[in-house]
Amino acid sequence: MDFSNLANALTFANLALALFGVIAGTVIGSIPGLSATMAVAVLVPITFAMAPASALIMLGAIYTGAIYGGAYSAILLNTPGTPSAIATTFDGYPMAKRGDGDLAVAIACYASVTGGMIGALALLLLAPPLSQVALAFGPVEYLWLSIFGLSLIASLSTGNVLKGLTGGALGLLLSCVGVAEISADIRLTFGSSTLIGGIEVVGALIGLYCIPVLIDLVATPERHLKVEEEVRAVRFREGARIAWGSRFNLIRSSVIGTVIGILPGAGGSVAGLVAYSEAKRTAKPGQKFGEGEPDGIMATESANNATVGGGFIPTLVLGIPGTPPDAVILGALLVQGVRTGPALFDGGGSIVYTFIFGLFIATILMLPTGLLIGRYAYKTIVTIPKTILVPAVGFMTIIGTFAIRNSISDVIIMITLGAIGWVLSRFGFAASPIVLGLILGPIAEQGFVQAWIIGEATGNLTGMFFGRPISLAIIAFTILSLLYPLVQSRRAKRLIKMQAGSND
Amino acid sequence: MLNLRTVKTVAIASALSLAAAAGALAFPDKPIDYIIPFGPGGESDISARFQQPFFKDKFDQDLVVSYKPGGGGAVGWAQLNSMATDGHTIMGINLPHIVIKPAQKDVGFTTGDINAFYMFHYTPDAVVVTADSPYQTLADLVEDAKANPASVTMSGSGKATANHLAQIRFDKMAGIQTTYVPFKGTGASTTANLGKQVKAQWGYTTVGAAQGDAVRLLAVAMEERHPLFPDVPTFKELGYDMVGGAYRGMAVPKDTPAETVKALSDAFGEINADEAFRKQMLDGGFALLDIDAAGMADFMKARSDEYLQAAKEAGLIE
Amino acid sequence: MTDAVPAKSRKDIGTLVIASLLVAIGLLTLYDTTGYSDSDSIVFPTFVAYALILGSLTVIIHCWLRPNPELGFGTGDWWRRLLLVASMIVACLVMPFSGFLPATAIAFAGSLVAARHEGWDVKSALVFALSGAVIMAGFYVLFRFALSVPLP
Repeated sequence: MDFSNLANALTFANLALALFGVIAGTVIGSIPGLSATMAVAVLVPITFAMAPASALIMLGAIYTGAIYGGAYSAILLNTPGTPSAIATTFDGYPMAKRGDGDLAVAIACYASVTGGMIGALALLLLAPPLSQVALAFGPVEYLWLSIFGLSLIASLSTGNVLKGLTGGALGLLLSCVGVAEISADIRLTFGSSTLIGGIEVVGALIGLYCIPVLIDLVATPERHLKVEEEVRAVRFREGARIAWGSRFNLIRSSVIGTVIGILPGAGGSVAGLVAYSEAKRTAKPGQKFGEGEPDGIMATESANNATVGGGFIPTLVLGIPGTPPDAVILGALLVQGVRTGPALFDGGGSIVYTFIFGLFIATILMLPTGLLIGRYAYKTIVTIPKTILVPAVGFMTIIGTFAIRNSISDVIIMITLGAIGWVLSRFGFAASPIVLGLILGPIAEQGFVQAWIIGEATGNLTGMFFGRPISLAIIAFTILSLLYPLVQSRRAKRLIKMQAGSND
Repeated sequence: MLNLRTVKTVAIASALSLAAAAGALAFPDKPIDYIIPFGPGGESDISARFQQPFFKDKFDQDLVVSYKPGGGGAVGWAQLNSMATDGHTIMGINLPHIVIKPAQKDVGFTTGDINAFYMFHYTPDAVVVTADSPYQTLADLVEDAKANPASVTMSGSGKATANHLAQIRFDKMAGIQTTYVPFKGTGASTTANLGKQVKAQWGYTTVGAAQGDAVRLLAVAMEERHPLFPDVPTFKELGYDMVGGAYRGMAVPKDTPAETVKALSDAFGEINADEAFRKQMLDGGFALLDIDAAGMADFMKARSDEYLQAAKEAGLIE
Repeated sequence: MTDAVPAKSRKDIGTLVIASLLVAIGLLTLYDTTGYSDSDSIVFPTFVAYALILGSLTVIIHCWLRPNPELGFGTGDWWRRLLLVASMIVACLVMPFSGFLPATAIAFAGSLVAARHEGWDVKSALVFALSGAVIMAGFYVLFRFALSVPLP
């Protein structure tokens, strides 16, 4: 490593590009439907005229900013702007509802910066060895990872676990709709051309999370979020104190995010969910996850920003993009004439190091810009009259869903799913298990089919599914996370009993 | 509204034909939307990104790449004919996809719906193994597959795709039985190969270019050896009559006026003729192809017949 | 509509109806899988359909034994909810013919009316119509020109 690369990254032009990228990314990420992929894809042609390193710095900054920006709509509108921010809604929206939206936005910013730094650090120091993680994960590991993800339903459904599991199955089924990914059948479309492209995940997210909020908003004259009467002190400091108190959670979640970011088949949504469930599993007594617990936001937001650095590891070392935005950036790199591979990180890799330092700079810049934009976003959403908020958000869901792949069918599916989701949620079938099934379904199906084919060819199906060390570790974690709530509730009951006994 | 638009379209179209008559000077007169019916990072995306700067350079208009993934391309292609016919919306196409998909099921479009105006490259099929694989040559792989039927696993991108057809055809020619493991896209299939989840991969020459020393190509399905891999034999040299891969190009909606189609075809032909572009494509492992609008019908006919024949023999379609 | 029914006499009909529909969806999936040609695409939906049917049946039994009368649509104006969803759907249906902005104007107006509880007068109507137009135009410009989305 050579610190002259840091100096290269620190030119005025690069700093300006990083600042522009972070701001643009944050704004774009906060609009449901506008994704980092799209923002990066649109800006690629501009970068052709730039020096490769500057181009990369700008694209990386947009990507980082967009992942953080997703937290705003998750917290303030209960709508994950990107799949990465799904778990942010679990505690972010309850916090906003009780009037702590500004605090939630602030701690999301601290968490995102921490996650981004740790991910970038891993990219800087450990990229070549860590890239092997991507190769160690085969079909079976992805299958078990997705089952681990599905096991979260049990701990996520606060009310009725049965309904949660049923909703999960419905989500898995919805993920089958359309042309099958790795076989050649068309499934569950019943001849409709609207459904042939399947149910687009981001559109479904917008529908299932945002439309019910809108339906509830119009039905009664109550305000959207609770507003405190007196003017409060800026809550940046309070947020910083909470974040410092949860530093272990932040670091653990960032490491989880980095590692899962390296897996090309998983992505930010899985990283956020796994980090969330780990935070919940190790919760201190008195913490109420799902009802506005800051640790829940921090776990998700640090993990999903860590996937940025993590995702670049397979992209730059193996030429295999970790996430869709990485894929676009990889294309831009190829056009610039940069060849990926381990050699990038040996002696001649000044471009890569300039880029990584640029990523650090962008992440640091996210702290002031994120806090400022966050505060502004919060104020806007809180003060805007409901009469205009509802149509504006409704309009945004339509244009955002359309923009994902320029399809009116996706918008119709989004609204329909939203209306159905609202009815379902009114009778105890929450949206999250359905979404979990929808996201994890393809990972599980492909993993299973591939593992089965390979296992049968090698004549060792049992060994394939149950004989590989990483798989066994994931299975152990799954069992742990399924059993832990039981153990915990029993312990809590005993504790209450003991206290009751000593009080007498 | 509708009428107005029709009038406008006609006006543009006639203006275009005038311009075309004058030597296609005024085309394109605004940015061109270039829709890739897949996600980013695949061969379609990368090669479109290669075209992008050259287009801007030559015609001073942006080529705006966007993605419309879904249904293995079907979502995009099914909507192609409802898009604007002024030549400023084009879509990436991909053989054998546009032949085999509609032949299997009703996917919302037929091969005849697609008005291709230029095919600019193909990625030749190649057998890829990791650098430390026991298979030094194609003969090693064939030998192993003969000794252990069905136990040689080979990853590839999707089903009823170029990779899958290549596997079926090669198994037949060599009289062997290998096991094809479908993955979602070349990236995932390459990852599985590098991670030794499978014994070999049915990929393209582009995989060899991207992975460099990490992989070894055993054979490529070209007439001549690829300049980037002078040491890798062709299938023909090894006695297997296999030439082909996935062919890519661009299409416009059916009702696009012939002059516009011609202008687009000429424009992309010009890019394809650029030495710098050719070099970039070859360095990326692609093989260039120059089928313009005039030669398209014959090319598509020949390819369709070949693919349908192969797919029928393979039992993929009836 | 269901609000009229006294809470105590209700037996959580909603859950029963939903769970029965889910069973039907499971059966429909099983029927659909009979038309697939590739065994690789049959295994997963079949398994999931059985899981869905099993889960829904358990929900039905559970709900029959221990109904949860707290569940329901709650209070609120139905016409507002329906107007919101209907205006959005209508916008999608007319979009291919009318273009993007006129279509979404329908959705915008519909949800504006649905969300306004304070009543209308000329001034407020003008203010909201104007700010609505500004918001829509702003986003349209952002998407169409800055992000090059081909809006119809």
